[in-house]
Amino acid sequence: MGGMSNLLFFVKDAFRTIKENLATTLLTAVTLGFALAIFSLFLFVFINVNAMVSGWGGGTHIIVYLKDSAAAGDIGKLKAGALRIKGVKGVKFTSKDAAFRELRKGLKGHEGILEGIDKKVLPASFEVSLRESSMGPEGIVKVVNKLKRLHWVDDVQYSQEWIQKLYGILRFIELTALFVGFFLAAATIFIITNTIRLAVYARKEEIEILRLVGASDVFIKMPFFIEGVIQGVVGGGLAIGMLVIGRTVLLYKMPAYLSFIVDMPLPLTVLVPVVVFAGICMGVAGSLISISRFLKV
Amino acid sequence: MIKLFHVSKHYGGDSFALKDITLKVGKGEFLFITGPSGAGKTTLLKIMFGSENPSEGQIIIDGRNYSCIPRKEIPILRRRIGFVFQDFKLLPNKTVFENVALTLKIIGMNQREIQKRVLRILSYLKLQHRINFKPLMLSGGEQQRVAIARALVKEPAIILADEPTGNLDPTLSMDTIELFRDVNNKGTTVVIASHDKEIIQKFGRNTLYLRAGRMDS
Repeated sequence: MGGMSNLLFFVKDAFRTIKENLATTLLTAVTLGFALAIFSLFLFVFINVNAMVSGWGGGTHIIVYLKDSAAAGDIGKLKAGALRIKGVKGVKFTSKDAAFRELRKGLKGHEGILEGIDKKVLPASFEVSLRESSMGPEGIVKVVNKLKRLHWVDDVQYSQEWIQKLYGILRFIELTALFVGFFLAAATIFIITNTIRLAVYARKEEIEILRLVGASDVFIKMPFFIEGVIQGVVGGGLAIGMLVIGRTVLLYKMPAYLSFIVDMPLPLTVLVPVVVFAGICMGVAGSLISISRFLKV
Repeated sequence: MIKLFHVSKHYGGDSFALKDITLKVGKGEFLFITGPSGAGKTTLLKIMFGSENPSEGQIIIDGRNYSCIPRKEIPILRRRIGFVFQDFKLLPNKTVFENVALTLKIIGMNQREIQKRVLRILSYLKLQHRINFKPLMLSGGEQQRVAIARALVKEPAIILADEPTGNLDPTLSMDTIELFRDVNNKGTTVVIASHDKEIIQKFGRNTLYLRAGRMDS
């Protein structure tokens, strides 16, 4: 029997079995769909909340105050020196005059307070922005220490307390997600494997008979493999459908400022294959693991 | 072809299904195993087939010792053995044709040859009008003949049959044993477990008697 005719035989057999056990197959596919949808939704919320909180860290800037004695030529060198530090993304210079102008702007309506004050009273400064990789508390301290060692630097300020709190929140979110994610994944796998196990158990006799008439493991497993793929595709498709519809309903009901929570972190062109592939893997693995215990005859 | 050395089968405690069975069935031999119900006939056949392991002793089938055969090679050995199960073991969701064709599909035979062989054996067993029926639509006797057809269709080197005439009327029983004899005349080793006295008297020149799991000579 050629490979092609073999495959055709198995595919036909798998489709016939699905037709004969339609209720069980559908139940498995729907369980798979719900499980994948719930898990994907959890991942969406986690990714979005994490991205949002991480985004707050993007506003963390370091201010480097320069010594009054720094001349115009030194500023260029200092800027170049700061940019050479690992983790520094950009440097924005604010001159003494510019700093005073900004202060004046900030006191709009009360400018009188500044009357008679020397315009050069405020120090010139650099606002240093960081790369993503150096955003954490440790990364910032490293950059700050290096900046402090630069010539003409008087003082370096950054919002240490805020950064520590922010990363505390991020760590909490990550830990919670890890914990919830672990239990959700375990529950998902448990439900799916049990649903599939029950479906396979119903065909225990068939597997035993095939084994007794000399069928190889591959011959017995192949229809289950194909059924697993089909169930995975259907389950994955259902999960995508539930996600899209669920998201639309949520967006309709949710206040706009919270809508970011259900943003799709991946475009549909990527999400569909990823979810369907996950469904196929679960369907196939569930079937093949469940069947193994009946192959010992 | 089939050699058993001091084979015993215990099911825990002092109860045993078989006790110290040693026998040799040569190539092309025809052996009846007989004895009362519960004597161990089915267990002995299952042990010869490798679907049950002995508690003690060695079994050599077709030159290979069961205890040394890797698990994945057992299906290959089973393809050389046709087994007629007492409870038929037919796939309920497949038709008569498909049930019989299955063993040929497993050995990788082409579709045309499968068609030819299956139709030939089914008409020989007077089942040609039932080819598209599913097992549960058949009588006990018909199901038994399908099980026989499935065992014979692949022309195996060994046939093990557990009460193959248990559900057949006397005429069909005689025809079925004649069929096994035909197959045996072509060189196939045949071992039949039966407690049908009439059949044993008529055909049982070479008979092994079992009583409470022991050979009774």
